[in-house]
Amino acid sequence: MTSKLNSEGIMLFEQPFARVPYENYRKIFRTSQKNVERELGGVQTLSNELLTRTSSRSLSSEDALKSIDNMIGKVENLKRKLSDLHETAGKPTQDVMRERLHHLATVEALQSTTQPEFSRWADTRLDRWLVDWCLRAGKEKSARSIAKEKGIETLVDIDLFSDIRRIEDALGRHSCTEALAWCSENKTALRKIKSTLEFDLRMQEYIELSRAGNRIEAIAYSKKYLISWQETHIAQIQQLSALLAFPSTTICGPYKRLYDTSRWHTLAKSFRLAIYNLNTLSTEPLLHLALYAGLVALKLPACFDPVTKNVDCPVCDGESGDSPVPLGLGKLAGEVPYSHHANSTIVCRISGKIMDEDNMPMAFPDGHVYSREALEDMAARNGGIVTCPRTGKSVPFGELKKVFIS
Amino acid sequence: MDPLLKELTKLEKLTATSAKSPSIVQSLDSLLHLLHQAREKFVRGECSEEDIRQLVQMTENKKRDIDERQKEVYSVLSRLGKALDKRFTTPLPTYSDLFSLPSSVTALERTIALHLLRTGQFEVAETFLNESEIKISDEQRNQFVDLHQILKALRNQDITPALRWARNNEKFLQSRNSPLEFYLHRSQYIRLLLSSHPPDPLPAISYANENLRPFYKEHEAEFRRLMTCVAFIPLPRLQNSIYKDLALPTLHFDLEPLFAKEYCASLGMSRQVPLRVVGDIGGGGALARIEKGRKVLGDRKGEWSQIDELPIEIPLTSENRYHSIFACLVSREQSTELNPPMMMACGHVISKDSLQKLNKSGGRSKCPYCPIETLVGSALRIYL
Repeated sequence: MTSKLNSEGIMLFEQPFARVPYENYRKIFRTSQKNVERELGGVQTLSNELLTRTSSRSLSSEDALKSIDNMIGKVENLKRKLSDLHETAGKPTQDVMRERLHHLATVEALQSTTQPEFSRWADTRLDRWLVDWCLRAGKEKSARSIAKEKGIETLVDIDLFSDIRRIEDALGRHSCTEALAWCSENKTALRKIKSTLEFDLRMQEYIELSRAGNRIEAIAYSKKYLISWQETHIAQIQQLSALLAFPSTTICGPYKRLYDTSRWHTLAKSFRLAIYNLNTLSTEPLLHLALYAGLVALKLPACFDPVTKNVDCPVCDGESGDSPVPLGLGKLAGEVPYSHHANSTIVCRISGKIMDEDNMPMAFPDGHVYSREALEDMAARNGGIVTCPRTGKSVPFGELKKVFIS
Repeated sequence: MDPLLKELTKLEKLTATSAKSPSIVQSLDSLLHLLHQAREKFVRGECSEEDIRQLVQMTENKKRDIDERQKEVYSVLSRLGKALDKRFTTPLPTYSDLFSLPSSVTALERTIALHLLRTGQFEVAETFLNESEIKISDEQRNQFVDLHQILKALRNQDITPALRWARNNEKFLQSRNSPLEFYLHRSQYIRLLLSSHPPDPLPAISYANENLRPFYKEHEAEFRRLMTCVAFIPLPRLQNSIYKDLALPTLHFDLEPLFAKEYCASLGMSRQVPLRVVGDIGGGGALARIEKGRKVLGDRKGEWSQIDELPIEIPLTSENRYHSIFACLVSREQSTELNPPMMMACGHVISKDSLQKLNKSGGRSKCPYCPIETLVGSALRIYL
């Protein structure tokens, strides 16, 4: 295989990278639309009212002035809000989009992975993956530290993940308020992906009321928030109504499960899935996906045999040191299948080069094989004698046999 | 990315505060102006019903203008969204619970910590270690600190620490036939040669006499070239001579990666940064290939993650081949300890199983590639 750049393979990973700021911008745009609707709508109502009351002569000039001042206030307010929104959110998000698209355009323009520009780009990509991994694993300080050291703050989504963390922490404290606020901000998008997160959260608040024995409040809560879901969730609503008859110590299966506090954990998980989905983030960290595919491509039985290990192979994992069990990537490789190869490839254990017609494999009398180049080099330095690095046996170069591996 | 950037530029132009065509801000300004006018008229008591009617009309007009404007932004935005859809057609796959076992998390954390140390990001590594459970011994950490101090010195044209390390690890370097020490001296020699003004080769020659001569035996040809290039200084002449490679800055810059490689090898670590290697393979086409194969061959309920061997081949560059693989062309099977590669009298290699299957009466097998026959018992097992 050549070192030609595989653009399709690279771009497979970059959809979230390009999309997150776009989704952000759409949100900002919706906010600006809402502001326009609210303030200008208000101005229209006021002006119409002014007209009706003027024509019916029921308006004092003081009231009229007040009404006009009110309108001026609203328009000024809107103007300020829109410009603030553009300056603090809209413009910066556009800049992030531009920077990310440029970053992708850089790699698109490259031809080969051997170009130094690719190496720099891939360094940055690995840094982005590490930041993504740290953010998902809750190591926010490490994430910020990498982003700052490498100057890639605009290329990673630290803010998005702080938001996720804030809401998840709240769920950890058994509070749905933050998550529900997020749901109402993203109502349409959640409906589009048919997410039932909001119902699940409402359900939990209801369960907590029942757990605390606040039955009246629970019924009121159900009326206010649960009944509206009856078209799709009637069975659950009925079960929840029945829950009021059971104390939190019940051993009755379905109700015991409803009271189970591990539901909070499940909620946090489904919240995370929903927010990943809305932002087109992958459910797995990008680093995991890249490592999975990379390890599958490399993993061989030879990686796990002490005799055939090669320190340069990332799966054999030289970084484990002398440990008999792999500690690093080799450990992760345990979770992936072996690579598949239909053709032979013979790698010289002395030079690391692949052998072919120009650099034939040569066998010692006991069957150990090395490349001709490496053996010739050794013979030239040792008066025509070659020594097998694996067995320590020495023979004259002339006793080696050519091997034909087709 | 061009179509995307084009749409983005449109969006930027449309939303810029200094936009040429009437922007939202301008519409709001003119609405404000009208409101202030109306107010003044009112204060003066000159405001008629007609004026108010006009104000209502104008408010409506401005609202419509602004809505139009928003609609334009919206349509550019959705065009940008469509361009994104077009550019990124395949979503990333889901592999649930991949590397989520506690032992796998630890393994990955360890790999990341070592990666940060190896690439010299010591402060980041400190933060990372504080946020994770793993421990890296001081000894291991110091090895990386030393490495980066030596690399930094090399960058600042100081070869002394690198030389000291090379001397301390002379045996190891010799066993690898490493040219490191020779190249360090070579770099110093060329610097001495080219830095003198007016050109004076004497310091360089006496440096060569003292430091390069011990390498004469192993690097005879290069030694001669180095001594001959003296006749071509100063730099501009050298650059136009057959020795122009000695004038290249890479002669000095390449010392850093070479040193890092030898240093890591002495610690039993790979020559390339492992996380980068695996990530580059995975993110450079391997995942796309696996996903394609999954689609073509059909994967029900993630069976692929349960299997022993991937049913498709993922191409690797020769740089990323670390182990020999023997696939018998007769049986199409990869060799194993029980079914090893066997070399016949003619030098051709097939698997042991295939050799036995080819066995005719009299314990002889005819090579599938040439007319020569081999006694099965005399075939040689080879170790690749």
